[in-house]
Order: sequence, then C-alpha cells, then structure tokens
Amino acid sequence: MTQRKSYAVGTGLFIVLGFAALAYLATQTTSVANVSQGPSYDVTTQFANVGQLKERAPVKVAGVRVGQVESISLEPGKEVADVTLSIDRKYGQIPVDSVATIYTSGLLGDQYVGLQYGTAKQYVKDGSRLALSKSTEPLEAMLGKFFGAGAAADDLGGTYAVKARFTNVGALSPGAPVKMAGVAIGSVKSVQADPVKLDALVTLSIDKKYDQIPDDSSAAVFTSGLIGSQYVAIQPGGSPDMLKDGDEMILTQSAMQLEDLIGKFLVNGSPGDKSGGKSSDAK
Amino acid sequence: MSAQTQRNMVTEALAQIGQCGLFLLTILKAVPGSFRYVRETVRQLWFVGAMSLTIIMTCGLFVGMVLGLQLYYVLSIFGGTAASGTVVAIAIYRELGPVVTALLFAGRAGTSITAEIGLMRATDQIAAMEMMAVDPIAYVVAPRFLAGLIAMPLLCSVFCALGIFGGHLVGVTWLGIDNGTFWSNMTANVDVWKDVVNGIVYKSVAFGAVVSLIAVFQGYTTPPTSEGVAYATTRTVVASSIAILALDFVLTAFLM
Repeated sequence: MTQRKSYAVGTGLFIVLGFAALAYLATQTTSVANVSQGPSYDVTTQFANVGQLKERAPVKVAGVRVGQVESISLEPGKEVADVTLSIDRKYGQIPVDSVATIYTSGLLGDQYVGLQYGTAKQYVKDGSRLALSKSTEPLEAMLGKFFGAGAAADDLGGTYAVKARFTNVGALSPGAPVKMAGVAIGSVKSVQADPVKLDALVTLSIDKKYDQIPDDSSAAVFTSGLIGSQYVAIQPGGSPDMLKDGDEMILTQSAMQLEDLIGKFLVNGSPGDKSGGKSSDAK
Repeated sequence: MSAQTQRNMVTEALAQIGQCGLFLLTILKAVPGSFRYVRETVRQLWFVGAMSLTIIMTCGLFVGMVLGLQLYYVLSIFGGTAASGTVVAIAIYRELGPVVTALLFAGRAGTSITAEIGLMRATDQIAAMEMMAVDPIAYVVAPRFLAGLIAMPLLCSVFCALGIFGGHLVGVTWLGIDNGTFWSNMTANVDVWKDVVNGIVYKSVAFGAVVSLIAVFQGYTTPPTSEGVAYATTRTVVASSIAILALDFVLTAFLM
C-alpha cells in the first residue's frame, strides 16, 4: 500500500510538472506575454507610412515600453494610416503636443513607436489624438532623395485588376503585397515580360474597399528593409477620376538596383548609363 | 524468385499495418472497460512518464544548447544574433520538441512496453488472464496505451522548457546576447496557437498515440519465444521512428 502511494504521488508530481511547463511556455515565451496587463487608455495618431509596424509592437518613451500598438488601419479613400496606441494608465502625463515617430530597433530589428514629449501643459486623454507624427521612410525613398532620383516617379493606373508596366521589377514576385501609406491593400497577381514592348507587365489586384485611388497615382517597386522582400507601393495622385478595373497605371517607378545607385555615385552621376531607377514608359 | 519475395514483403507490411489498425479499434473498444483498472493506468503513467523525465530533461537541455551555439554562429554572419531567441523557440516548439521527445519515448518507454507484454505472452500470463475471464486488452494493453497518450504531451512540454532554458544558457549567459532582446524577440514572434499548441499539443498527442499503439501491438502479437520478444522490441523502435518522421511531415503540412 505504501509503495502504491509513492508512485501515485510521483505520477501526480509528473503531471503537475508537465502542465506547469506547458503553461509557462504558452504564457511567457509567446506573444501572449506582450498583452499589456493593467488598465490602459487609447490614443490615436496618423502616419503617412507605417512601414513594417505590426499590431502589438511596443510604444516607448525614452526607450522604455509604456504601451503597445492596438490597431493599424487604412480608411478607404484616405492615404494616411490610422494607428491606435494603447498606453498604460501609469503613464498618464503625456503632453498633447508630443511627437509619435516610427523607429526601427537596429538594422534588422522590429519597428516600434517612439514618443517624444512636447512642452504643453495639457495631457492626452483616452480617445484623444496626437497630431504630430513622423513616418518611416522606405529605404528607396531615402536613397532616392540622396541620389536625386526620387522625383521621377512614373504614373500607373489600376483598380481591382490594375496593370502597370515597369522597365525593371527587380525580385518582385506574384503574391507580393501592394501597399498604400505602408498598409497592404492588395497583392501582385502576375508578373510577365511583354514580348513586344520588352518590359515587365505587372497585374495588381487591389481590394475593392480601396476604390478611391486617383487614376494618376503612381506605383513603385520598393524593398522592405535592407534584405526584405519587395512590394509595390502606390502613391496617390490628385486626379478627380478614380482607377477602375482593367485600367493601366501610367506612372511607375521601377525597382532601384543597388549596383546602379552605387555605380552612379562612383562615376559622379554620368547620365550615359541605362539607369534601372527611372523609367519613363508613358505610352 | 526475388520478385516473389518482394511481393511477399509488401503483402507482409500491408498486413502488419492492417492488423495494427484493427488492434487500435480493439483497444478503443476496451478503453471504457479499463477504467476499472485506473490504478494500473496510473502505475503505467509512472513508468512511461515520470521515469522518462531524466532522459527527456537531459536531452532537451542539450538540444537547446546546441541550437543556441549553432544559431549564434550562423546568425553572427548576418549580424542577427538577436533573432536567436525566436529561432530557438520556434524550432523547438514546431519540430524538435515533439519529434525528439517521441523518438526518445519510443526508445525509453516503447521498448519496455513491448518487452513486458511480449514476455507476458511468452510466459502464458495473457492466456492465464483469459482463463480467469479478465480481458487482457482492458487490463494490460489499454492502460499502457492511455498512459503513453497522456505522458507524451507532458514530456514534450518539459523537453521544450528545458530546450529554451538551454538556448538561453548558451546564447545569453555564455555568448552575451542581450537578455531583453532574446526574450522580447521571442515573445514578439512566437504565436501561442500556431507554434505552442500545434507543436506541443497536437503533434505530441499524435506521436504519443502512434508510439504507444506500435509498442503494445508489437508486444501483444509477438511470437512467444525469447527470439520473438527480442525481434518485436527492435521492430518497435524501427517502426515508431519511421512512423514519427513520416507523420511529422503530414502533420506539418496540415497544421502550417
């Protein structure tokens, strides 16, 4: 009888140990651990481009976590992303003129929202809006500014199935995201070489929700991060007419190739080389 | 001649799989009857589960430590050692935890189940039970099957916990990856349903069922000779290993 009891107790211990290990792993090593505990309040802000920011990404003040990103959404017809930040109630004294900026931790790290305090005596409350924000800049935009190539965006037209021609799509593949203001609004349906015009014909399928894209918007092939995958970014134009199914986007900007950029830089921008960075294939 | 032998081998293998499936149905039918022998199930849980803890914990620790070392080496090429926490956790939860635990379980517990039941068969204990109107499936086979089914996910959880600890030990304590980066990268990228539940719960329950079924089947159907018992024990390990790895591929494809 005593012997029976000893293994029964041992078995019980084993079962408790197993469940304890499972509970620990499930709650402490997964994203469940990031769900903020304790009371919090919501503050909204708007970014022109959220880049790779994800929901539940940290919100930091002076590098210390004070909350997390609650939601990221793009209202149809607008070209700025709405981001809701959920901030711990402990940190209730954030001035209303604080600036929200999207930073990256390290070169390959995740993105987070950093808050820099303003000088106002009023503090943000639940549901209020931070008017000042700074977006991420895609690497291409920064490089483009640096090399003076950013202004040469060409036009492209598209709607639900929208076509766009690029002289160079880089490593763009079907299924890659189509983004506006950094938020995915569709995907690349097909990438084909045109046997007659000798360029790449890319078909984009865009969510029907976003039917307010002006027909003079431009499409560009960007890379997320330094070694990230490529995506198509749409920059809205100003035309009163909207893109419809089957349209072709006229203004496009091809994938920039690092080799071309560096080559340009080294030879002091000699205009003779066939730059992959620009394409003026307006029809 | 050789073609005929080959055909015989294929028929033999198919017959084994078929018999094994039918045996599973027999066990499932006997499970309600085995609840009378719940003490026996607890005793088996002690033998196959709690007694396997030492080997599982040691191996989990070393697997985690090796992962920590290898990842540090590979990721430092890209300057991405901060991601090692994520990769250790995902590799262990999704693949190494369930698969290595199941392979160890087949070697540690599966063989002893086969040998024990095989010897009961060889020494006519099973026939004696039938004489006494005790259903040997309900008294001998079902408790061991249930114990394996329950023990596997628990052992897998312990393995994973020790694996993460080992990866942390090597990566953070010895090689100097920042502690906060290690954990925050892990918690940011590991999903509780896709990684932890799919790996530790679904995969290891499936592996536990397969390993226990093969072990009790090989033991119960062994030829009643010492050579037969030896052969059945070997076959338990071989068949379980193949079944675990093949099933792992199928489950991964479904659970992705």
